[in-house]
Amino acid sequence: MSDVVAAARATARRIADLEARHGLHAFLEWSEDSLVRQASALTDAQRAGPLAGQAVAVKANIADLEHTTNCGSRILEGWRSPFEATAVRRMREAGAIVAGKTACDEFAMGSSTEHCAFGPARNPVDPARVPGGSSGGSAVAVASGMTDYALGSETGGSVRQPAAFCGVVGIKPTYGRVSRYGLVAFGSSLDQIGTFGRDVAAAARLLAVISGRDDRDATTLDRVPLGEPGPAPRSLAGTVIGVPREYFPEGLHPGVRAACDRAIARLRDLGAELREVALPHTRYAIPTYYIIAPAEASSNLARYDGVRYGLREADGAANVREMYRRTRGRGFGPEVRRRILLGTYVLSAGYYDAYYAQAQRARARIARDFAAVFASGVHALFTPTTPTPAFRFGENLSDPLSMYLADIFTATANLALVPALSLPIGRDQGLPIGGQLIGPHEGEFTIIRIAQALEAALGGEAREEVR
Amino acid sequence: MGVSREEIRRIAELAELEVDDRLAAELEGQLSRILDYVAQLGELPRDAEDEADARAVRLRRDEPSADPLLRPISSFAPELRRDLFVVPKLGELAQGEDE
Repeated sequence: MSDVVAAARATARRIADLEARHGLHAFLEWSEDSLVRQASALTDAQRAGPLAGQAVAVKANIADLEHTTNCGSRILEGWRSPFEATAVRRMREAGAIVAGKTACDEFAMGSSTEHCAFGPARNPVDPARVPGGSSGGSAVAVASGMTDYALGSETGGSVRQPAAFCGVVGIKPTYGRVSRYGLVAFGSSLDQIGTFGRDVAAAARLLAVISGRDDRDATTLDRVPLGEPGPAPRSLAGTVIGVPREYFPEGLHPGVRAACDRAIARLRDLGAELREVALPHTRYAIPTYYIIAPAEASSNLARYDGVRYGLREADGAANVREMYRRTRGRGFGPEVRRRILLGTYVLSAGYYDAYYAQAQRARARIARDFAAVFASGVHALFTPTTPTPAFRFGENLSDPLSMYLADIFTATANLALVPALSLPIGRDQGLPIGGQLIGPHEGEFTIIRIAQALEAALGGEAREEVR
Repeated sequence: MGVSREEIRRIAELAELEVDDRLAAELEGQLSRILDYVAQLGELPRDAEDEADARAVRLRRDEPSADPLLRPISSFAPELRRDLFVVPKLGELAQGEDE
């Protein structure tokens, strides 16, 4: 048996064992047969690639040819994509195999995986708590040790927030860095595939492999792929890191604040200059996001109508519109229906300018805030990733607005199209806390380098209690 | 700004989404609260600079190319006849819908 096949079998054993012992429900679909088949089929070129034989957990809204791509939704239950996402193809060409498809909130709409139609994933640190979302299953796969790498997707923080809740690294690249071809569309002006790893180098390595221009996505930047991450720099002398005051409000969770204070002290120890900065339109980010994302979702999700693929509820339907309504009403879960209706409302005649057009103007202001800070000589920003550590199941489920506020520190980077990452910076009462680095447009190299230095400086502190 | 039960019925119709009475009642409160929250954007002034910057995403020229499906349509179509998707009859248009 070759080494890659043995590694695939070992991955299968780990997944089976961890699921049996902890019931984490990281994966909606995986099998040992598939892992072994993919590993056996690797060519010599793939075996020489940077991800040779590595199993990568893939979010259920990213198309592969090995599994179903159900997006955590009944409406796509059992659907096998007739094409493969560019990100998946690139990681396979680099030698990786698809470990399976991970649990996520339906169509990536949610911050906890509680909106997954096939059941939520559980936080490996405390299974009574959510892993975050929407890419929660991918974060769980990496945090629990099932796989070393995972792909997720972001529209408002869906990689960074679960990375913070589960204590792993998550990177959301610059909009256009990674092809969205084969990523099932939610909010197309915000959507971007991101990566998870147990450390910064792993998440950066996977990002490098999947990045670069793609003829099949006209929003990809005309750039060559990112390079492999280098070693962690020992000094950050000459680096200016901005600390935006809007991300440290008075009521910030004390554990989150303490972990950020310690991380800022380590950045200073490394020789970085820390500078307080202002991003005055930050408070408009969530209202802006919850107009633009549902508006785009209401348009993107119009394609699920029971005609060409997916669920069809036509029995007894008097005409085609009745079929559409039944299919969509029964196939979509509550959060997706809520966002489709919200998006339809803000785009409808009489409301368009007050909501959607005004949100576009606010988005422009949020982007200008970032541009102004980066033009003033600041290389990157440091903030908490989330306002609190992982919450309990059910805690935010009955109040959609309180769930939306879980994205308050992450949605800004999606709106401004800039790269950002989350790395573990400590724990409070056992729960991981994430620190966020936000970079200028196309500034992945800068934030990855700073994150590597901070990760090395924190060492074991990243997994220790902060107070 | 509140949203009424009638408005929920109207947007559900526009979105081609079945919404029963129980769900409509639930959505009335939830959507009203969300719309109240997002209404704070109204306090931002409307500058010409914002209008110019509002197109956030820049697209390259779209150059269509052949993109063959790797599985046949019959593997995913709910109902297919002679390579055409079959749907229930279109039905009568309600008054005004053909305008």
